[in-house]
Amino acid sequence: MSCNTSVTHLNVSSVDKAQQTPVHLMPCEIEHNGPAKVSQYFAATMKDHKHETTVSFRGRGLKGQELSCPQGYTGLVLKEVNKPGSDQEDRTVKVSSVFNKLTYWNLETPPNSDDTVVMAMDWPELAEAIHGPVEE
Amino acid sequence: MAAKKKRAPNVQNDSWVVIAADSAIHTQKHDRDADFVKLRNPSTDAACLYMLGCGDAQLYEVKAFEEDFHSWFVGQTVQRDGRLVFVTPMDPLFLILPYFIKSGKEAKFQPVDQVVTDEEFPACSRLLSCTRSLASLQHIAEEKEAGSTKFHRYSEEKTMNWLKKKVERTVVALKRRNISVGEGVKSTTYVRVKSEPDSHEEDYLRYAHGLISEYISADLSRALLKHLELPELLSPKETEPPSKKRKLSDNPVEAGEDYTKFNSADFVRKPPKKMTAAQKTLAKVDKTGMKPMSSFFSPKVKAEKN
Amino acid sequence: MDLSPFEANNSFSCRLASQIPDVCRTEDCCLGVDEAGRGPVLGPMVYGICFCPVSKKEELKDLKVADSKTLTEAEREDLFQKLDEAKSYVGWALQILSPNTISTSMLQRTKYNLNALSHDTAIGLIQYALDSGVQLKEVYVDTVGPADKYEDKLSQRFPGIKVTVRPKADSLFPIVSAASICAKVARDRVVKGWNFAEDLGDVDTEYGSGYPNDPKTKTWLLKYLDPVFGYPQFVRFSWSTAQTLMDSKAVTVHWEDDDEDGEKAAQRKNNRSMLSYFSASTEGNDHNATHQTHRFFTERRLKSLDAL
Repeated sequence: MSCNTSVTHLNVSSVDKAQQTPVHLMPCEIEHNGPAKVSQYFAATMKDHKHETTVSFRGRGLKGQELSCPQGYTGLVLKEVNKPGSDQEDRTVKVSSVFNKLTYWNLETPPNSDDTVVMAMDWPELAEAIHGPVEE
Repeated sequence: MAAKKKRAPNVQNDSWVVIAADSAIHTQKHDRDADFVKLRNPSTDAACLYMLGCGDAQLYEVKAFEEDFHSWFVGQTVQRDGRLVFVTPMDPLFLILPYFIKSGKEAKFQPVDQVVTDEEFPACSRLLSCTRSLASLQHIAEEKEAGSTKFHRYSEEKTMNWLKKKVERTVVALKRRNISVGEGVKSTTYVRVKSEPDSHEEDYLRYAHGLISEYISADLSRALLKHLELPELLSPKETEPPSKKRKLSDNPVEAGEDYTKFNSADFVRKPPKKMTAAQKTLAKVDKTGMKPMSSFFSPKVKAEKN
Repeated sequence: MDLSPFEANNSFSCRLASQIPDVCRTEDCCLGVDEAGRGPVLGPMVYGICFCPVSKKEELKDLKVADSKTLTEAEREDLFQKLDEAKSYVGWALQILSPNTISTSMLQRTKYNLNALSHDTAIGLIQYALDSGVQLKEVYVDTVGPADKYEDKLSQRFPGIKVTVRPKADSLFPIVSAASICAKVARDRVVKGWNFAEDLGDVDTEYGSGYPNDPKTKTWLLKYLDPVFGYPQFVRFSWSTAQTLMDSKAVTVHWEDDDEDGEKAAQRKNNRSMLSYFSASTEGNDHNATHQTHRFFTERRLKSLDAL
């Protein structure tokens, strides 16, 4: 059970130095955290073909779609700085890169508006309605 | 093909892909810092992650889009954790409200900092630093001023009116975004009906009430339903015996039972049947150039060509 | 033989064809079908057809085309040259199945095996000849498997054409040998000059024959194994040789339709989404048993977190 008093500090000013970076949401779990030759193997082989964006990964055919961040929102990649040994300690994360759009990939099926990640993008606008100030 | 490996736990997760409101990062304020803190979720009463940004001036809700079998490519790296975390502005009053309801039983006017305290979640006092908090207390409490000090007392009537306005705002947004609010029915041909002309006002109200109920206690949710003049519906849960429920969570859906009412994309998207051991053997033989008799007229699906 | 349409985009399949000789549109013709590159773990599989008037069978024999496998690469190039010189009465067409097409088809959710792929490709090429106006009367097909059922299938598919399917047809019928030469020449050229879509700098072209048991091929597969991506698209990921190497040397990747964990996960997922409508969420931070997450969130796979 993690401690309710510990906080995770977000170093917001790190966003000023963060670079735009391409992000791809893959339809598989890759048991790896770390470097990968994404531009050489993946971005280089993406094809726009018959109105579809396709690529393959490990021999599986993927179909992709770009999604923009909702209006008023920015994509951030947060990275932990010096992971502490225990969950009692406060942690710190910084913004390591930013993005305005992401590409999500489906395994074989053509992207459409019913894809869950597309639907998830409804959330910020609904959140604004739920949490925005009500009129007097 | 070699047997698939079991999934090993992701122990070294140290990065997150986030979509955050610009106000959390592009603020001109001198104090730009933000903290992810744990606070009491007003609906579940359990610890939940939120973010306080702009030097505690704004509260944010943290929700993650999470589906099995996803990972990220971020630049020239792999991030195994495929979640997409949303950081959206949140009304701090939702988190302050339970403390007022609790103290309201004493029916005393109190200074707000005496109301909003929680040994288990000490960060809750930081909610009072949010720009909107003190200014909007009047939505849930009566106010008295004595000298320079303000005193407050919970008002259910005010709260209901405030929540009703929340529901109404939410209805407008649901309509604007064409959110499907019907009874969760999706056509079996897997085409979600985007804008249902037969979606009644009541469907929208109920749906919006359900969303607002994510931020209030079950008691308050029921009271709000009454306030909205919506009759209470028996939820399927209450009509289902508990033993049945347990059984369902442990077993796959049985074909004999009609759950079409609860259809979701997953039912239709369920991956096709896996190859049997014999079929696998055939597939292997194919590679070496042998053609097993049985494979000649096996059903097939045309691959995309050209 | 101009391979540039394929080389411009070798991720997909591609059809290449000669001019249709005029005489093939007016006289009864025979057509041979053969394939090249079925076994290798590297490069495309090429299907070839060759056709000429039945009356020219003897002239074709005089070109001394023979089973391409018994010839050296230089001899095949030479014979292809001769076929090209006979273009007034010999036509050909090729379907190049890119290794990426082979991988993604064979590894598809709904598996599309190599036999089905081969048969469909052969049928597609014969249909191409018919659509181009070639007066087909006889079709000869090489097969590495049982011939009878394949012959029945093709006979039914192309009524009015006499179909002969034979193992080693490329050594029995000159028109099949000619098809075999076209296919093999194309495969050799494509493999030799493989244009890597990946940005890998100078790639070692010492990949040998591409057959899994060729030591040069093995060495190349070890050298070009990437821990995350596995291989460039030049490699057929559906071959057990490639799979085994990736299983032992690359990071593990899980797909929702994986044999073991996928099915269970799909069940779990179905249960979760259905249950979420009328029971407490199973997620860790919902301790309150009466709380049900609204379907707006469950449908969108959105949930609260209790820790980052």
